[in-house]
Amino acid sequence: MSLFVLSLGFGLVTASVLSVAALGFTLQFGISNVLNLAYSSFMTLAGFIAYWLNTQGLDIWLCLLVAAAATAILSLGLSRAVYEPFIRRGARSFEILIISLAVGVAVTNLLLAFIGPSGFSYPGVQNASVYHFAGLTLTSDQLVVIAIAVALMIGSHLLLTSTSIGRALRATAENSELARACGIATPRITRIVWLLSGALCGAAGVVLFLSISSFTVQSGQDFLVPIVAAAVLGGIGQPYGAMLGALVIGLASEVSAAFINPSDKEVVAFALLVLVLLARPQGLFAEAAHRREVIT
Amino acid sequence: MSSAAQFYLTNILVFFGVDLIAVWGLNLQFGVTGIVNFAFIVLQAAGAYTAALLTLGPSSGNGGFQHYFGGTSLPFPLPLIAAGLVGAVLSALLALLTRRRLRGDYAAMVQLVVSLIATTVAQNQSGFLNGSAGLALVPAPLQSIMNLTPLGYAWFYVGLTAAVCLIALVVVRAIGQSPLGRAMRASRDNEETAASIGLDVSRIRMTAYVVGGALAGISGALLVQYIGTWAPGAWLYPETFVYFAAVIVGGRGNVLGVAIGSLLINIAIVEVTRYIPQFGPAGFIDAMQWVVIGLLIMAFLWLRPRGIVPERARRYHLAGPAGASRTVSQQATDRESQTS
Repeated sequence: MSLFVLSLGFGLVTASVLSVAALGFTLQFGISNVLNLAYSSFMTLAGFIAYWLNTQGLDIWLCLLVAAAATAILSLGLSRAVYEPFIRRGARSFEILIISLAVGVAVTNLLLAFIGPSGFSYPGVQNASVYHFAGLTLTSDQLVVIAIAVALMIGSHLLLTSTSIGRALRATAENSELARACGIATPRITRIVWLLSGALCGAAGVVLFLSISSFTVQSGQDFLVPIVAAAVLGGIGQPYGAMLGALVIGLASEVSAAFINPSDKEVVAFALLVLVLLARPQGLFAEAAHRREVIT
Repeated sequence: MSSAAQFYLTNILVFFGVDLIAVWGLNLQFGVTGIVNFAFIVLQAAGAYTAALLTLGPSSGNGGFQHYFGGTSLPFPLPLIAAGLVGAVLSALLALLTRRRLRGDYAAMVQLVVSLIATTVAQNQSGFLNGSAGLALVPAPLQSIMNLTPLGYAWFYVGLTAAVCLIALVVVRAIGQSPLGRAMRASRDNEETAASIGLDVSRIRMTAYVVGGALAGISGALLVQYIGTWAPGAWLYPETFVYFAAVIVGGRGNVLGVAIGSLLINIAIVEVTRYIPQFGPAGFIDAMQWVVIGLLIMAFLWLRPRGIVPERARRYHLAGPAGASRTVSQQATDRESQTS
């Protein structure tokens, strides 16, 4: 039992990072219809931007903000410079997918070429203290990671429900033609969502690197499939579904790691995804997310 | 030619042959039928493991330092054939996994996940395929009974690879020119129209999956029996991406085109960079190869989406009124001139 609770703690940390990443991934897909497999490479990029700033003496939380902002701009740039021109030319969806994979491979390997394969950790973050409560054991860093994720989830929820931009985002995700007919400037909304998803992607990258003791240029890439799994599990394009999906994937993989061979934990999460796709390609929570999302 | 140069040449020829068989398989799926199979490399890996397990003998052999299941020693052509069968069966299973009408990119993403699961399982189950260390000391076919010098054997293997390539070429060309090939192209270009004229699109796709999978499996078997080792590091998911690059750059749907693409992407980029003096941090050039492949894909999809040697536009002949053979486009022109 205590092993179960302990693994629950790890699961919460993984789920936190995953929820931020999957939210950004799914929001952007819901609006732009681009399955952006370069997403995890941009997470790595953000993590290393923060690392560089951190070694320059900038406080790690400022690094997080700057890296998120930089990734937001890079992400918008990627859409404007690469995806949009191809889409205007009528590229098919699988061509966009291959292009996004090409971007991802290029970015990851550019980082690999200039940074190399060695492991890093943020120099500004060392004094981690350990907290115990209710059988859970978490370090202060892990608590901060969870807190950031919760704050970002609440912030995104407020953005989506209580602001005119958020309502326009949801309307566009639901039916972009109808949204445009109602006077929503959908191209502008698309640009905003790329910025927003880029910021979440950047934040997720830094938070991911904070949560693991040593990160390499490959660390973000390893996160690609869990992100996709969480987003698909929750019904792709559904922000709340992605949060739930992240929780399921994060907890399922870490809790199962406590009871089976830990190196198989990813297999459990992925196998879950494949089963879901076989039974319900629209995702587990498509309806639930629909009810909460659409009818306002 | 010095024997070192000859070894180098034989290596390149065998690798090229293996890549040719694989890209022809992928081209049949992606180029001709329009299936995006991001787990393609798993089929090659499965063929390689099959051939390795069927030649290595029991796990206790070689001092028992490797742990794997069901090792036997079958005589030469059988492991190769079995590898093709395993590739075909696994490919059919992949097809069933995405049989539901998932959007093309969505289905591809699922297969990417399958590819990662396969790698993780092979890496972590140490008793299954010897874990991340992989299988080594895979015996080369007929080497023990042929009594050749290592160089002579290398040339023999070049011949063997060439023969298998030739068979693969005959198969993919025969399919490409047959009614089945036309049906494949039709279901690629417009699924709804193809279905509306009575073509069974999912069955056509299944055929492409199976034949492509068999070719992938055979290519893996040829490779493993030549290099003697096979490990999970050899078939990570970006390797599928390299074969896609070859097909896109060479010319989707064109057998000659994808062969040129394979020569450029699989062979030239790796071999040319071998002669660039190392500079920058360790592994710089290797990483930059991937960057170049990524940029090449984007450049070709933008500037020359149909590749170096585009698929030729086909004209199908219909019997004319006087029994003369006329093309569809000629008839269309006739109709236009009649109406105007």
